[in-house]
Amino acid sequence: MDNAGYTTLTRQSGLMREMQTVANNLANMSTSGYRREGLIFAEHIKRLDGESDSLSMATASAHNTSMVQGTLTQTNGTFDFAIEGPGFFLIETPAGDRLSRAGNFTPSAEGELVTPEGYRLLDNGGAPVFVPPDADTISLAADGTLSAGDTPLAQIGLYQPADPNLMQREDGVRFISEAGVLPVEGSAIVQGFIENSNVDPVAEITRMIEVQRAYELGQGFMDQEDERIRSVMRTLGAS
Amino acid sequence: MRALKIAATGMSAQQMRVETISQNLANMNTTGYNARRAEFADLHYQQMTRPGTINAADGTVVPTGVQLGLGVRPTSVSVQLAQGSLSATGNDLDLAIEGNGYLEVTMPDGAAAYTRDGGLKRSGEGQIVTSDGYPVVPDITIPTDARSISINAEGEVYAYFTGQVQAQQIGTLTLANFTNSKGLEAIGSNLFLETPASGPATVGTPGVDGLGTLRQGYLEDSSVDAVREVTELIEAQRGYELNAKVITAADQMLGATTQIR
Repeated sequence: MDNAGYTTLTRQSGLMREMQTVANNLANMSTSGYRREGLIFAEHIKRLDGESDSLSMATASAHNTSMVQGTLTQTNGTFDFAIEGPGFFLIETPAGDRLSRAGNFTPSAEGELVTPEGYRLLDNGGAPVFVPPDADTISLAADGTLSAGDTPLAQIGLYQPADPNLMQREDGVRFISEAGVLPVEGSAIVQGFIENSNVDPVAEITRMIEVQRAYELGQGFMDQEDERIRSVMRTLGAS
Repeated sequence: MRALKIAATGMSAQQMRVETISQNLANMNTTGYNARRAEFADLHYQQMTRPGTINAADGTVVPTGVQLGLGVRPTSVSVQLAQGSLSATGNDLDLAIEGNGYLEVTMPDGAAAYTRDGGLKRSGEGQIVTSDGYPVVPDITIPTDARSISINAEGEVYAYFTGQVQAQQIGTLTLANFTNSKGLEAIGSNLFLETPASGPATVGTPGVDGLGTLRQGYLEDSSVDAVREVTELIEAQRGYELNAKVITAADQMLGATTQIR
């Protein structure tokens, strides 16, 4: 049985996936509110037929999401909000409520604040945020209180997943929290800023080189293994 | 090999960013121009292992699962609404809007368009028109014998005649506002059209109900911040190069694979 080959194969396919993650992170280096994704590999042990032999393989067992604060870009937009500290905005989508840190909102034709895809932002009570069209100056306090002049309109809520491990990614820089959401205290919302992607391009490129070299190393190992088996066949066949 | 395609989406996103920046820099001196900003979102995720999948007979669940992203896509190129600085021109038909609102003009096909470019002119018939010759709504005609005209902050247009002490009001300019001004469709020549996303235009007197005021003799400059655009350009260029590097690396990995016999 060609166990050495199979074990290397699990490593190689894992590295391909890792490369895909690096590519995705770099592709999203300019996506507002994007959180860096990573893969965690674990040892997968297979008991063999022999007495105490076992075969160890590597599998991508989990993904992790980096929750490091991204840098803020000043846009001066009235409805550009950035979260400083932990927490997410709650977005209403047809498939259910979603979490997001992308703070580029616009008022819809009905006057409700929506994401670029048209999904509504929810306040701390879970209701849409309405901005009257004739409002003069809209300002946002650090606690999320949105006001037109001196009239408070709504308080934008910040939420966190009840169980961060059960958080899944969705396209559109959104997260699904299957275990529900809880309000967050103590984070600030800043107006006129957008949080950048928290991907560190230098770290990603370093990781990319690492992955590439490890892959080549694996390939070299497979070549040698191939050569070894060939030589065995040559030797045995000649005799 | 998905890494290649993912990096390609990254490259096209950065390219779109460069295109937006070049559009902004090209319009650095366009009256009433507001900078655009390209916004992106991540693409669909491929579920390798769903979080919460039962892993063993005793009910142990996979805590986080494995999800692999598939790249990036543009979501919007949105107008960064901002008041541009005002520059004095001294022309009596140059108007700058201070605050929200658009001037309404009638297109040749009769449709309404909206603009913040207040560089108005006088047509052969004395009508107030834009630089392209489209009449401003409401229609105001300046009498040929008027000595000078004055427009106040609320949009009232007065004409002065030789031999008359009192100025005569010949019309009132209005401003149109939208619930979502970012939802207007730009059609070039500093003109915008109403869309279902912008909501209907609400026309009102300048200075009332959140509308801006008019300032005669000034034009609103472009709100493009050259320093910011150039910084973004550097970022976009490096981003493009980094994504290209991923393509090279993924290609070399594929090359290594094909070498196995």
